[in-house]
Amino acid sequence: MIRALSFRNISAVYIFVAMFIVFSIWIPEKFLQVGVWRSLLDAEALTGLAAIAALIPLVAGSLNLAVGAQVGFTAILSAWLLGRAGLPIALQLPLVVVVGALIGLVTALVITRLRVEPIIATLGVSSILLAGMAWLSGSQQILDLGPDYREIATTQVGGVTLPVYILLAVALVTWYVLERTPVGRRMYAAGYNPDGARLAGVRVERLQVGTLMAGGAIAALAGALLTSRINAGDPTVGPSFLLPALTAVFLGSTQFRGGRFNVWGTIVAMYVLAVGIKGLQLGGSPRWVNDLFYGVALLLAVALAQWSPVVHRTSAIRRVTRLLRRRAT
Amino acid sequence: MTEPSLLLRVDSVVKTFPGLTALDRVSLDVRSGEVVAVIGHNGSGKSTLVKVLAGVHTQDSGAATPVDGAEIHFIHQDLALVGELTTIENLNLVKASGASALHPSRPTAERARARDLVARFGEVFDVDVPVRALTPAQRAIVAIARALDGWTHGRNVIVLDEPTESLHRSEVDVLFDAVRRLAAEGAGVVFISHRLDEVLSLADRVAVLRDGRKVADEPVSSMDHDRLVELITGASVTSSVARAGTRRPDADPVLAVRGLVGEAVAHLDLELYPGEVVGVAGVLGSGREAVSSLLFGAVEARADTFAVHGEPYPRRSPARSIRRRMAFVPAERARYGAIRPMTARENVTLPQLRTLRNRFGAVVRRLEQAEAARLMTAYRVVPPRPEQTFALFSGGNQQKLVLARWLRDDPAVLLLDEPTQGVDIGAKATIYDAVAQAAAAGTAVLVSSSDAKELLRLCDRVLVLRDGRVAAELHGEDLTEHRLVVEGYGLERPAPPSGGPSPNPRPAQGEP
Repeated sequence: MIRALSFRNISAVYIFVAMFIVFSIWIPEKFLQVGVWRSLLDAEALTGLAAIAALIPLVAGSLNLAVGAQVGFTAILSAWLLGRAGLPIALQLPLVVVVGALIGLVTALVITRLRVEPIIATLGVSSILLAGMAWLSGSQQILDLGPDYREIATTQVGGVTLPVYILLAVALVTWYVLERTPVGRRMYAAGYNPDGARLAGVRVERLQVGTLMAGGAIAALAGALLTSRINAGDPTVGPSFLLPALTAVFLGSTQFRGGRFNVWGTIVAMYVLAVGIKGLQLGGSPRWVNDLFYGVALLLAVALAQWSPVVHRTSAIRRVTRLLRRRAT
Repeated sequence: MTEPSLLLRVDSVVKTFPGLTALDRVSLDVRSGEVVAVIGHNGSGKSTLVKVLAGVHTQDSGAATPVDGAEIHFIHQDLALVGELTTIENLNLVKASGASALHPSRPTAERARARDLVARFGEVFDVDVPVRALTPAQRAIVAIARALDGWTHGRNVIVLDEPTESLHRSEVDVLFDAVRRLAAEGAGVVFISHRLDEVLSLADRVAVLRDGRKVADEPVSSMDHDRLVELITGASVTSSVARAGTRRPDADPVLAVRGLVGEAVAHLDLELYPGEVVGVAGVLGSGREAVSSLLFGAVEARADTFAVHGEPYPRRSPARSIRRRMAFVPAERARYGAIRPMTARENVTLPQLRTLRNRFGAVVRRLEQAEAARLMTAYRVVPPRPEQTFALFSGGNQQKLVLARWLRDDPAVLLLDEPTQGVDIGAKATIYDAVAQAAAAGTAVLVSSSDAKELLRLCDRVLVLRDGRVAAELHGEDLTEHRLVVEGYGLERPAPPSGGPSPNPRPAQGEP
């Protein structure tokens, strides 16, 4: 119990509380508005999807630096298929998701067959996708997507927009697979020690392919929703998802599961970071504070994740609990 | 030599960790020209003592100080080499004194020097490949060569922290010759080991640690094997179980391989029968250390025929081998044996999670925990906590967990590579019992080991490899330590008794 509530375990929640108090005192008239929170929930749902798209391959050992470009490319592709190619949504949406998975497949093949380190492979793929984006869009916004597409991201159910539910559904499925199924267990094993996992019968390469494809499909979903949300294909927005997504994943790994990458930690970390950004914006900070904030948060998160005095922590906690138990009797 | 001067004084060192007294008023003197062995179980305080000497830990009280500017050099179990760098580069990480850090390297001279240093151990190998590609024994040699290279003056203490774990008996002899020479030159040697024979043959004095206390510190002449065991365990243990011979006489072979070729193995025929324990012996590079990973499919290999349970098994991989009920306990536990950051529970269930699923495909936590707890009790893992991270168990208990993981589903074939590497006597006994039990239950067991005693104790028959081929198959009365050595080296005449100044036996292969 004490362990579950310790600062180490749920620091993001404490940080959230601290920020909430600070901003509530500093700018109550702006910060404590239902509208602000609702739009935050909605806007960040896509960041959440991008974060999960980065999380899944990372669990199995592939750091995906192409997540932002994947979101951006599929966003432009969505707009292009609707606006330029004139496809119906029923065809366009599945196609985008399939293309997303294929991008993941190609990335995975570069990693497993050509034996390129994931970080380099995804960096290369990222650059190629950025080029593809510029080529498809002519580096300009793609407009005229028709009236229906916008509905997807703006429909509200119970006061909350559809992307939030989609994020929740994706997170739930991811959580189940990662934490409850043998596949998830093998993914963690492969991520921690590929050689050891292989000798324990884990098909490491197959997992890398699978996770990068799943991540690609989810990134594509985020891309499609992004285009729907802004009702245009904007080549500048997608890549900016990379930093918040990775920051959320790494900060998330310090939450709840004692150093393991996990879904709920990621989602909570993502929203906590977003609240911080929002508060600063409402307080009148200049735009560059965003980058500063995420940069610092990413460095702190990774440093925190690596600083894991597991021995000391558990033994310290054990001592405390033993003390409490002795008092109780 | 006159009065041997004191080089290192450890005086009443106390070191506690939360909930544990690792060292309790331990004192130790090391004099010039002396080899002092420090032995004890895992968890007896040996490693802590080394870490205090190295300054990794600070003692709570007491002192551990070199005397009169003596220098302490460490060779740790993990060797502290940079895997990506070559032998030459690793040796150069410690530059000779006086050379500037920006001094240009001189490839030819450095290569020659590296070869010279390595040659002191009688084993010349390619000094231009990354040390990661070397075998454990060769890596140990690089580390030791580097420590020797760093000596700048006469007052030195060298601390060898279980340096022989991965060495073959004969290499151990070569290393010991070098250590004795160093001692003769006036260095003090602290030798930390599990292996009682080595301690008895090398050391001048033995200090025994048990539960953080020094329970004996005596000249080696007053010690023998049994007394050491008694001191280490705190009780007299006499457990010499002769092999029961559980091979099923009429059964078909579980594993039948003809013409296996791969890595260091040039040609191997092998048949494993249910219930038998077959040993694989051989010097370093004989193919001994490659056999089990080739059979398991961890490393690619060709074979004329390869059959498991009478069925051909042409395309091999660990996953497919596991489906055929094969199990593999690799050497280098930390790297290959387990997933260190995961819990004991997750580690023991990893190879076979299917049986723990419910109908929604989820692992049933309750079942899994019960399974892990059952295994930890059965294999006497201490502490029996399924949720403890694997890395936090001691070496012996880690190995018990690895073994438990593979014995969990009663494998048909159990491949063991150095099963008791870095393991204390207590854990060793548990592991031997487990292997014997598995064999009695019908598992065919293959043990590759550089420890002749281990093979004698465990095996029904032993294949001795030389140059990647089976040089001899020993069983019954032929299966003796002596024959293992003779066949391993391909010696015509019987080998001289070990310990004496041997004429450096060399493998009969054309080495450069």
